[in-house]
Amino acid sequence: MSALASLIADHVTRRFGDHLAVDDISLTLEPGKITALIGSSGSGKTTLLRLLAGMERPDSGRVLSGTTQLSAPGTFVPIERRKIGLVFQDFALFPHLNALENVMFGLRHLPKADRATLAASWLDRLGLSHRRDAYPHHLSGGEQQRTAIARALAPEPVAILLDEPFSGLDPTMRDQVREAALEAVRAAQIPALLVTHDASEALVNADQIAIIDTGRILQVGPPEDLYRKPSSLEAARALGPVHQIDCDQLPEDWKQYVEPSAKTVWYRPEALQIADGDRFTITRTRLAGPVTELELMLDDGCPVYAACQLGTVLHAGDRVGLSLDPDLLLVF
Amino acid sequence: MARTKPKLSVCLTSRVGIKLKRGKAERSMPRLTLSFSAIPPLLVIALVGLPVFAAIFAGVSTGDGATWTHIFENRLVPYTATTLWVLFLSAAIMIALAVPAAWLISQYEFPGRSIFNWALILPLAMPGYVMAYAWADVMGVAGPLQTQLREWTGLSARDYWFPNLFSAPGLAFVLASTLFPYVYITARAAFSMQSLATLEAARSLGAKPFDLFWRVAIPVAAPAIIGGLCLALMEAAADYGAADFLGIQTLGVGIIRSWTSFGEPNTAARLALMLIFIAGTFLVAARIFQGQRGTQQTSVRWRTPQRSDMPVWAGISAFALCTAFLLICFFVPMSRLIWLLLEHQARAPDLMPLIRSTLILGAMGAATAFVAALVFSLATKRHESLRLGARLVAAAGYAAPGAVLGLGALYILRETGQSLSGAIAIGFLIWIYVSRFTSAGVEPMQATLARLPKNLDQASHSLGVTGLRQFWRVDLPLIAPGAFAAALILFVEILKELPATLMLRPFGWDTLAVRAHAYATDERLAQATLPALLIVLAGLAPVLLLSWRLSQSERT
Repeated sequence: MSALASLIADHVTRRFGDHLAVDDISLTLEPGKITALIGSSGSGKTTLLRLLAGMERPDSGRVLSGTTQLSAPGTFVPIERRKIGLVFQDFALFPHLNALENVMFGLRHLPKADRATLAASWLDRLGLSHRRDAYPHHLSGGEQQRTAIARALAPEPVAILLDEPFSGLDPTMRDQVREAALEAVRAAQIPALLVTHDASEALVNADQIAIIDTGRILQVGPPEDLYRKPSSLEAARALGPVHQIDCDQLPEDWKQYVEPSAKTVWYRPEALQIADGDRFTITRTRLAGPVTELELMLDDGCPVYAACQLGTVLHAGDRVGLSLDPDLLLVF
Repeated sequence: MARTKPKLSVCLTSRVGIKLKRGKAERSMPRLTLSFSAIPPLLVIALVGLPVFAAIFAGVSTGDGATWTHIFENRLVPYTATTLWVLFLSAAIMIALAVPAAWLISQYEFPGRSIFNWALILPLAMPGYVMAYAWADVMGVAGPLQTQLREWTGLSARDYWFPNLFSAPGLAFVLASTLFPYVYITARAAFSMQSLATLEAARSLGAKPFDLFWRVAIPVAAPAIIGGLCLALMEAAADYGAADFLGIQTLGVGIIRSWTSFGEPNTAARLALMLIFIAGTFLVAARIFQGQRGTQQTSVRWRTPQRSDMPVWAGISAFALCTAFLLICFFVPMSRLIWLLLEHQARAPDLMPLIRSTLILGAMGAATAFVAALVFSLATKRHESLRLGARLVAAAGYAAPGAVLGLGALYILRETGQSLSGAIAIGFLIWIYVSRFTSAGVEPMQATLARLPKNLDQASHSLGVTGLRQFWRVDLPLIAPGAFAAALILFVEILKELPATLMLRPFGWDTLAVRAHAYATDERLAQATLPALLIVLAGLAPVLLLSWRLSQSERT
């Protein structure tokens, strides 16, 4: 099994007319790791996935599986011979086949009895053993999604590409489906690409994150690094809210953390924590799941944003102090 | 699925002027409740159904016990067997023509693709009887094919076997070559509408082009293809002109012969019952098949599949195949008719009155049937309780050949004490057109509706757009491609209609079809060519427009 080969985009470019959808992108998907590709809609993330899958031909550059050229000048291995599993946002299950038959679809190389056994074991793994005979239109969204994952993984692909696979799911079941699905993906020990526009999905689940914007990769790295040390404001924003503050407006005791030349600093809300004191007035509180987002005002009127744990009872009008974690200050 | 789980909320909120509040317990049991919006569809159902039921009633109510054995043995069995044989053969030919063509054209780029895309609809402009006249002449002993064959081989006419068009396979070929566009259009639309992701998913799982076709495209498109085939087969079953001209004893011919030549109206009604049964069986089978396999995708992104390039040899083969289809089904018979017209320089009879009456009847009939079809489609979408009845009635009307409906009309005329003349005759003729063709208009509209996400109704209601405003702002634009197809199919069909027009037209209202058939069956083919060609030409314009609109709607 060639499962240990990386899937590599090497200086890949794809144009649609005048529009550079993918602009000289290089990205390595390592086996056994989930790489999240995040970016807004139109950033080129789906095009990159389609280039890797062989649904599009690159205008220049190469796509490789290990050392095997899949797309290169003069070479193009069509999608049906790449053995790359695909999972689509709209599931794309075959409406005329039941769940088991959907999973069996890619197993034509096996004897018939083995196909059914293998497909059934995949459905079992994804918790769908009771839904084998159900047709796609009778499956719930989560069940369709897991069937699609089973269908993609059953033929033992050399890589798997997931195009916003969870965005169509009910949020209450999304985490559960995602966990089951990604566990199976991880267990396959193949390169996996998770295209998403959900930063928290990428941060929680990926081993590596690539941020794409207007056809270019802004930054690639482990989630932790990218979150803490984004290389650009765009990269920082892609992973969560950042707020701006003029250096002049920083309280005197915080200015030491900032290089004197910097005019503006950026920070994530977690950089500011509630502390003793009464320098700040809370102007607004907003419950956002496990944390409460705070909008505060310094006495000179400069607004700042912080987050605190749920359970800290605070109200608009309260006066509090804030401490700053200098590691979470961002300067570009 | 909407079909199995009726969305009661849709039925309730779509009613005009009536708001009902119901508890959860009641909600599980849909009730037959009448409301204002149910009145138009009920009227249409009555309008469409009445002639069929009048004809059936006429046949059943007049006692004829002693002759039943005669009818059964000498009429019903042989006519039915012939009809089924012809239908089976033409179904096979239509599938063989339409499905490969639709697949190639929807999935691949090859020389001439964009022309074949619309040109393969052209045979729709050609009524079966015109096709029969033309091919009978091409294939006749004195025709160009056999003449050429004798010249090449030096044989005389008795020394070789040559396919005989005046046979059941000949009739099947003629009917299939004019009616296969029904299958082609639906198959092409089904292939084009397939979620691109489904095909790409199949390819990512290792499916080669051949697999894609047999394992994904065909099964997914099967309901639509069978739907189109049913439409075409019901049409074929109701043929009168081609079978009459070729001398094949189908039920359609049997009905008219029994009525006119044998003077056996009861036989006619019995044969008609059999024909309705056959057509109804097709329809029911198709519905069961469609019900088993939900084709509604939960797809959130719909992309038109991109067509892939073909290797040169494959592209040339595809070109050759489509060219052959087009020649056989359109250009050879058409050019033969034109040749005959020029060769004989037939003294042109005054065709203006024929053209005028043909156009007036066609326009009036199509407009009325269109409105009926629209009311039908939208109402059956909303009113679960009306759906079955509406379908049955529409199917009965469509399956009944023109002759039976004509018989029904005559019966109603007699019972109401009217005579067949002037405006009343025209009114009855239009009525029969509506009864006969409304379901031809309903089919494409419902096919369009069935593909729409089922939440559109709720989306519209949530935005406060209901009732008539919903009709104008949501239903009509969405149904437009289907509705447009419907209107054109209606016009072409009425233009080509022969038996009912033959029976019910008032004096001075001969249509082109009536006159052409009269000449052709009198073996005055040369005189028949001009009216026949005019029918084809008149039918061509809407067919071309139809194919243009179809390609437009596919592009967006």
